[in-house]
Amino acid sequence: MNASQNGFRQYAVGLVLPVCFLSCFHSSYAGEMAITEQSYLEDFPVVLSASRLSQPLSEAPNAMTVIDRNMIKSSGFRTISDLFMLVPGMYVGNVNGHTPVVGYHGSTEEFSRRMQVLIDGRSVYLPPFSTVDWEDIPLNIDDIERIEVVRGPAAASYGANSLQGVINIITRDAASVNGTSMSLAKGSEGVADATAHFGKAGETLDYRFTLAHREDSGYGTPVLNDAKFTNQANLRANFHPVGADSFDFQLGVSDSRRGMGIFPKPDNVFRNENIASSFQQLAWLHVQQNGDEVRLNYFHINRNLVDENYYSLNAGGYVVAKTQADRHDLELQQTLQLGKSNRMVWGAGARSDYADSKETLVLPYTVNQGRLFAHDEWRLSSAALVNIGAMVEDDGMGHTNASPRLAFNYHVTPQHTLRASTSVAYRTPSIYEEKANVTVAYVSLGGLRPEKTISREIGYLGEFASAGVTLDARAYNDQVSDIIFVDPAATPSGWPFNFANMYSANYYGYESTVKYRWSDSGNVTVNVARQFARCAITGTATNPFFIPLYLQTDIDECPVSVPDYSGSILLTQQLGQGLQVSAGYYHMGGIKMIAGIPQSVMNRVDLRAAQSFGKSGQPGSGEVSLVVQNAFRDDYTKYSITSETNNIQFNQRAYIGALVNF
Amino acid sequence: MIRFNFPALKIGCVCMAAVLLLSFQFALAGPLKLTVVLSEEGGAYLEYSNALGALLANKNVTLTVIGAEKALPASELVIAAGMKASLSVARAKPAAMLAVLVPKEGVNKLQKEFSAQEKSAANAFSAIYLDQPYKRQLDLITAVLPHARSIGVLYSTAPAELNKLSALAGSRKLEFHERSSVSSSNLYSNLQSLLLSSDVLLALPDAEIYNASTIRNILLATYRNKVPLVGFSSAYVKAGALCAVFSTPEQIARQSLNIIQEYTEAGILPAAQFAKDFEVSINEQVAHSLGLNIKSASQLRSEIGVVP
Repeated sequence: MNASQNGFRQYAVGLVLPVCFLSCFHSSYAGEMAITEQSYLEDFPVVLSASRLSQPLSEAPNAMTVIDRNMIKSSGFRTISDLFMLVPGMYVGNVNGHTPVVGYHGSTEEFSRRMQVLIDGRSVYLPPFSTVDWEDIPLNIDDIERIEVVRGPAAASYGANSLQGVINIITRDAASVNGTSMSLAKGSEGVADATAHFGKAGETLDYRFTLAHREDSGYGTPVLNDAKFTNQANLRANFHPVGADSFDFQLGVSDSRRGMGIFPKPDNVFRNENIASSFQQLAWLHVQQNGDEVRLNYFHINRNLVDENYYSLNAGGYVVAKTQADRHDLELQQTLQLGKSNRMVWGAGARSDYADSKETLVLPYTVNQGRLFAHDEWRLSSAALVNIGAMVEDDGMGHTNASPRLAFNYHVTPQHTLRASTSVAYRTPSIYEEKANVTVAYVSLGGLRPEKTISREIGYLGEFASAGVTLDARAYNDQVSDIIFVDPAATPSGWPFNFANMYSANYYGYESTVKYRWSDSGNVTVNVARQFARCAITGTATNPFFIPLYLQTDIDECPVSVPDYSGSILLTQQLGQGLQVSAGYYHMGGIKMIAGIPQSVMNRVDLRAAQSFGKSGQPGSGEVSLVVQNAFRDDYTKYSITSETNNIQFNQRAYIGALVNF
Repeated sequence: MIRFNFPALKIGCVCMAAVLLLSFQFALAGPLKLTVVLSEEGGAYLEYSNALGALLANKNVTLTVIGAEKALPASELVIAAGMKASLSVARAKPAAMLAVLVPKEGVNKLQKEFSAQEKSAANAFSAIYLDQPYKRQLDLITAVLPHARSIGVLYSTAPAELNKLSALAGSRKLEFHERSSVSSSNLYSNLQSLLLSSDVLLALPDAEIYNASTIRNILLATYRNKVPLVGFSSAYVKAGALCAVFSTPEQIARQSLNIIQEYTEAGILPAAQFAKDFEVSINEQVAHSLGLNIKSASQLRSEIGVVP
């Protein structure tokens, strides 16, 4: 520690003590308090440091869609996964009522494994299948502050597996909930939700606590057993003694029971699955007086699934099947302001994934990974900005991958920005792809290479402030190679299947978002995406008949694995006297996933009307709302890979909600 | 800018000693006997007396710098820095006094104390306020956020001249929203409802609302609501306020020098006044993050007023 720091500390202590003294005794002596100049001369720690400030869209190295609380509310969506229909180019489907599929730019499949999903920096992309269990994340949709969806690979900033995009969910700060609120929702398809929020912002400790119950009966078809009941609790607390350090503590648990089974599949009978998910996260943030900061983040997530009546090939009959997954992760990150025009973030992390599933892996596996990353934001001039970064990871499966990124943003005028960027990212094979061991069905031979994306894009962002319009447009080209696919290994039956790096795909197209705000009371967001795909077989199948007889057809159909057009319109208008109406229109052209079953065109309109009462946020205030999904009964088919479920449609649903603040 | 570190303190002491020695030489030539009384021997007070000492280096002035608890030596003019020093000086009956680093609200009280003295002459009291005039603060807000249509203020007890602020805001077509928060338990809910209706929050020097314990959550709430906070010191800007206008101890020392010269020549002190020179500070990271294209601090400074 140098002399000037030492001097400052002494002064700071001298200053802080009287301030504490003043604030502690202030209220009782307020009347007699002497007038002082203390307020003018008081020193404060840096509060809005780099990690608390989000990058504006015009300076971000990637295309980004931000979904904020107002949009979440206006959309009327009940589940987190549905929100991604508000992202241009993103696919949202459902395997059944409790298993959504979220994908971006083709290569979509049930496990959504080609995107990174982070919640407050916590990766929720779970082993052994490398999947996100959207319905069982112990997070209530009301606790989301905003979602930043990075459209394109961004491993340099968001870590491993940011292959095609990153969903970065930022939850409400511990200090943002003051008081108690309760909400209820009831509607068709058995929807019955209840949520309670408690919170308090204090002088050194803030907390928010949420209890929630959610249930519905799924698609409501005799073919599927897909009802779900979920109970969740989520706590976030922040301890911030006066000074440079703060500690963010989060924990959550979710306990759910969901129906499983497809009629009439004898190996997939109607039964229940019980899932217990939990997480703990502790982050320490130290901000120096010059704004530099150090963040140490640890988290652990755990998921225990029990299938009550699973048809196990390994056991040769029905068993109670258990799957356990754990992830521990520790990361240290430092942000340094290197002069006025240069800011650097660098850090290192270690992760340990554990998966235990007798029915799919036989043996438990642990994969230990390590990573080093650095990102530099360099302002060449007031108009030009360079973002350069890279991550090097040891994926714990025998590969060391380097994922660089370079982006150049140029403000032609402060309102008009051009962006060009290129990046590389990898997806590590999942434990299941590498180690699957299901007798006569899936037996991995191992030795898979990670999937790789090389992405290039050019973008434009325009702000027409006087007209209230912003425009975000981009053209992209993502080359994904070594895509892992099933490889029917045996001859002639095909079974069991291996996994192999089988094909490559080129996804290209353009996306744009227009936002128009005509007043404080009304706005509209329009997203349009045009997508193209080309695929080619680049791997070798163990069974020589597999490619010509089966895979070639799928690969030939690859152009329809992405919708030609897709988009959304979300319109919100305050009508005065606390009445708000909103309408969402969601379109997706017909598609056929690789090895999937064709899905029909989606033209869905959701409507929401809400009447608020009382003084916003104050005790006694609240809101009643009505949401109608698919209002015009333009039913469309869901995601499916099984012929039994290929014609199940999303029909009209409605629910009413009520919220009261205490 | 306020610096608090050991080297500065040492250099300051050396400077002071030099100044004292230098002024002692001129004592026989009938220099002005000037005493500076500091509320605390550090921080902004020391910065002020160092700056003043440097400005008086070649002047015909005998400068003595003492702490507030010391007995006042025979002086023709006493400058008191801070409320604590100013109150004890006002009660010690000097011939003339200038109060600096004091809020405007405190000056009225000081003036009353000082004029209670029998011997006090009408033009023997002056002060330079630490506050910035509301007009200057609104000038900054208009220059930084030309599209802002409403301004919010939060206080525990309404400042004396709040109606002046609301009238000034009104004259600029800025809707004025105020909330009073008397207990800490409703501070954040009051703040939240204020932020919903305001485009910018102007911080007031109210220690019940803005202090080291509350500033974190206030700044986080303003940022969350995309409503920038405008502070009144560089510390606010460093912490995360978008901008602030304030006068540095050095600028106040320069203005003090003019008052001293006026007093030496005419024997009277001017009326209590605002600091003429000031600085504008901008938090560029916060501005960038809020997507604001704002001018540089120096551009804004020259837009708001001419440097005296």
